Amino acid sequence: MGKADDVMDICMLAGEIMLTYGAETYRVEETLERIAKSASFKNVHCFATATGIFLSFEENKEKDDLMQMVRIDDRMQDLNKVTEVNQVSREFVSGELSIPDAHEKLLAISKAPMQYPLWVIHLAAGFAGSGFSYLFGGGWFDLIPAFIAAVISSLIVVELERHLKVRFAAEFTAAFSGGSVAILLVFIGLGNNLDQIIIGSLMPLVPGVPLTNAVRDLMSGDLLAGMARGAEALVTSLAIASGIALTISIFL
Amino acid sequence: MGLIIELIITFIATVAFGVIFSVPKRALLIGGAIGMITWGILQTVQMAGANPVVSTAVASLTAATFSHLLAKRIRIPVTALVIPGILPLVPGSRAYFTMLSFVEGDYLNGLEVGVQTMLQAGAIASGLVLALAIFSFGKGIGHRYEPNR
Repeated sequence: MGKADDVMDICMLAGEIMLTYGAETYRVEETLERIAKSASFKNVHCFATATGIFLSFEENKEKDDLMQMVRIDDRMQDLNKVTEVNQVSREFVSGELSIPDAHEKLLAISKAPMQYPLWVIHLAAGFAGSGFSYLFGGGWFDLIPAFIAAVISSLIVVELERHLKVRFAAEFTAAFSGGSVAILLVFIGLGNNLDQIIIGSLMPLVPGVPLTNAVRDLMSGDLLAGMARGAEALVTSLAIASGIALTISIFL
Repeated sequence: MGLIIELIITFIATVAFGVIFSVPKRALLIGGAIGMITWGILQTVQMAGANPVVSTAVASLTAATFSHLLAKRIRIPVTALVIPGILPLVPGSRAYFTMLSFVEGDYLNGLEVGVQTMLQAGAIASGLVLALAIFSFGKGIGHRYEPNR
């Protein structure tokens, strides 16, 4: 059972990394089935939802069945890791990688830090927020307060998610404080268009990955995963909206 | 002139969003270019007289088509290009004004803008789905009967 166990390990590790860091469900299922089939196993079945993966295959006809599942607790966004796992699976299927090599590469990917340090991400959130505040009708003078407010809401959402166990509370707090900072900055005279500055401060919180994946999953027939991701995106948006609604009703 | 400045800002903002979602480095600038094209199409179609929902659907279809074509060439998952590409279409402004109207008690206006927001979000999704349908042509996952079995 040596080879079957090793291949199962590779599959589960690959699936866990992909699903955790924001791959679509259909991609996870397809990748795992391809890896298992290329290692010449029969009767390969994979079922993945947004929170877990089941994989089963058999080594010989009608005996030596193998079945495992992993549970995915965290959902993060790091599309670079998804791309790297995709590359490993492609090389494994075409025969360029042996089983131990593939396992080593996957372990390296799962342990690797993010490709950008956190401060770059916060800075990027600032640029994204101020850029969109201009595109939605703000002026040149609004770029600076939108930048500050977006950096603050990005800082708060990242730092709070590290400590809070409750989902969506981080987004709520981040939207609340981003909006408060925007109102404060306009109040002391920095910036003219309050609405556009607030919109800019919220843009880094937009749940882009679950939204896009929900559409993709629903259309490729993974109804369960699609609805789950759609619900996640919807609740995130509601958390942002209620956070900003609280700011406005308190301070305006 | 105004459009050129907007395009440059869209490029910067889309690349910044790529960093937030941590797309691979070789896809960052391509994603930014796709976002720029998306915004350009959105503005041009709107200037030609189409309403926001139609122009959003056209822009979303363009973004998804470019993403599918380029993702195959540089061998990365389509998502890494599509997500930054469609971000300039997100109706953030409308969603905010919906919420603002509800907070201020102006429910009628809130419903009106809210419906527009939902329609625009639906238009983004329809553009994505149409591109997906075009590029998965011939794979045939949805056949109703099995005549040749």
